[in-house]
Amino acid sequence: MDGIRVGKRIVGTQSPVTIGWENIPKVEGGTFKRLFFTWFQPAVLFGMIAFWYYAPNSIAKFSTAIGIGIGFRIFLQILEFVNPRHKSWQITWKELATDLFYVGISATCVQLVENYIGSDAIIEALQSTFDFDKFAWFTGLPLLVQALLSLFIFDLGQYWMHRGMHNWYPLWLPHSVHHYITQLNVHKGAVGNPLELFLIGLGIGGLFDFLPRAFLLAGAISMSIGAYQHINVRFDSPRWWRFLFNTTEHHSLHHSQDFESTRSNYSNWFIVIDRMFGTCIDGEAELLGMEGGRRMSIREQMLYPFTEGWKAWKERGVREPMFGDHPTAVPAE
Amino acid sequence: MTSLSASGMETLPAPAEAPAILRLMQRIWHIRGEVPLPADLATDEAFARLDPLFAHAGTVHARMGDVVLVTKRDQLAQDPLSVVDSGTLRIEPGEQGPTLRYHLVSRALLYCFLAPLLFLAISQLTVFLGTLDKPTPEEIAKEKAKKDKQGEIKLNPIDKFLGAPAPEKPKDEKKDAKDKKKGDDEENEGFSPITAYVFAGIFAALYVLGRLLEPWLIRRLFQRTLAG
Repeated sequence: MDGIRVGKRIVGTQSPVTIGWENIPKVEGGTFKRLFFTWFQPAVLFGMIAFWYYAPNSIAKFSTAIGIGIGFRIFLQILEFVNPRHKSWQITWKELATDLFYVGISATCVQLVENYIGSDAIIEALQSTFDFDKFAWFTGLPLLVQALLSLFIFDLGQYWMHRGMHNWYPLWLPHSVHHYITQLNVHKGAVGNPLELFLIGLGIGGLFDFLPRAFLLAGAISMSIGAYQHINVRFDSPRWWRFLFNTTEHHSLHHSQDFESTRSNYSNWFIVIDRMFGTCIDGEAELLGMEGGRRMSIREQMLYPFTEGWKAWKERGVREPMFGDHPTAVPAE
Repeated sequence: MTSLSASGMETLPAPAEAPAILRLMQRIWHIRGEVPLPADLATDEAFARLDPLFAHAGTVHARMGDVVLVTKRDQLAQDPLSVVDSGTLRIEPGEQGPTLRYHLVSRALLYCFLAPLLFLAISQLTVFLGTLDKPTPEEIAKEKAKKDKQGEIKLNPIDKFLGAPAPEKPKDEKKDAKDKKKGDDEENEGFSPITAYVFAGIFAALYVLGRLLEPWLIRRLFQRTLAG
């Protein structure tokens, strides 16, 4: 394959990718369908902001947020049947059961571990050791500024963690298994080794004091932007949306079977961070995964980072320094 | 996909019937069924029609006379037999002519059946760790002070102007005492077993769905494939 030149790099030499918004297929169907799949994402985002901004205190609770989150996921699952992006990504019973297993482990075991060694626990321990308070001035900011700023700061940290995972072998090992997914569906974001789910959840949010409403707003905004990274629904997102936010198109390219394409679009919500650091590619891919699209079993996903890490450790004497300074992969930028 | 054809060989003998109790247990993750062959469809032609079903990544199959043995590994999501890990397909004479009888084994169904037990175990572990991590009176006092402080925080003038509700005021002592029982649950919110209970329920429902849906889909697949 010849590939396509994007800036200084050539993508799509190992697997087909589509580059440029003008080349990406549009939603097909009647006026209502096209309007719905164009404005659904912004409508949900602004609707969520309005709801959490004005809801009375008796409703603006964490339990309401959980209920809305579950309902929204179910609705998106239905949309996958209504307007699938690719037939080859169709959800099946086994795929759904597998994905929900990872969601379950993430929501139970990973959360349990985070009580002890999560970033909030670490920050709390540091605060009591060095006797410093949270950044209380943060609560004086307007609610939306608190929410957006906290999300942006978290995403900036997540961007570098994610980029680090693609550039440093010890971090790549737990993240690599997530790249074995061969299709995108609503719950695929949770598929991966629990170690990675823990690492990717690290942030410095614990340093700031939030108003509860700002925290709920941040959660709602992250849900309304982040839910579309892994989903098999075709949207005609407005131009400003795909300029600001990570879309299915961006993330499918990140999961492509083409190595060079995977080294792009690292941010979680704000694709502008990738634009800032020169790692954004606007495009999409249908063929996803590693090793030509081999599907990895749950057992292998759980063990792979450790077995591969052990292998690398054993080989350390007979090859180049295992985690040496010079990367074996060519940097994307 | 690997094919090990030995159609000229004698067919495998039918497996010995398993005891009734074992067969009952096997229903959890074994899929058995039969599909009558269309009239005038010879065994060779029937297996030739079924052959593309085994042309998927990770599938190995071998034909021995009237029997096809199948094993699968790392099945792709879009493989129509992705829930199957191994099995046999046998063409035997039936009351209404030759019939395809299949016996397939699905670890996905077995694991889904066992998943509620895993999540129930996680819920109990969560409860146990929660009892070890009960907050000390100092921590409770600190948390209360934090909540009181939160109540004192005023909204930014912009939010006030736009009409956002102000944060709740700290509760009075009487109300606090009333809510004490509720508060006890909230104090250990990092150790709530409810999520694990919910996932135990989800997997129980998923198992029932899969046990009904997958055998139906497989039977339909064989019927359509044999009909050409």
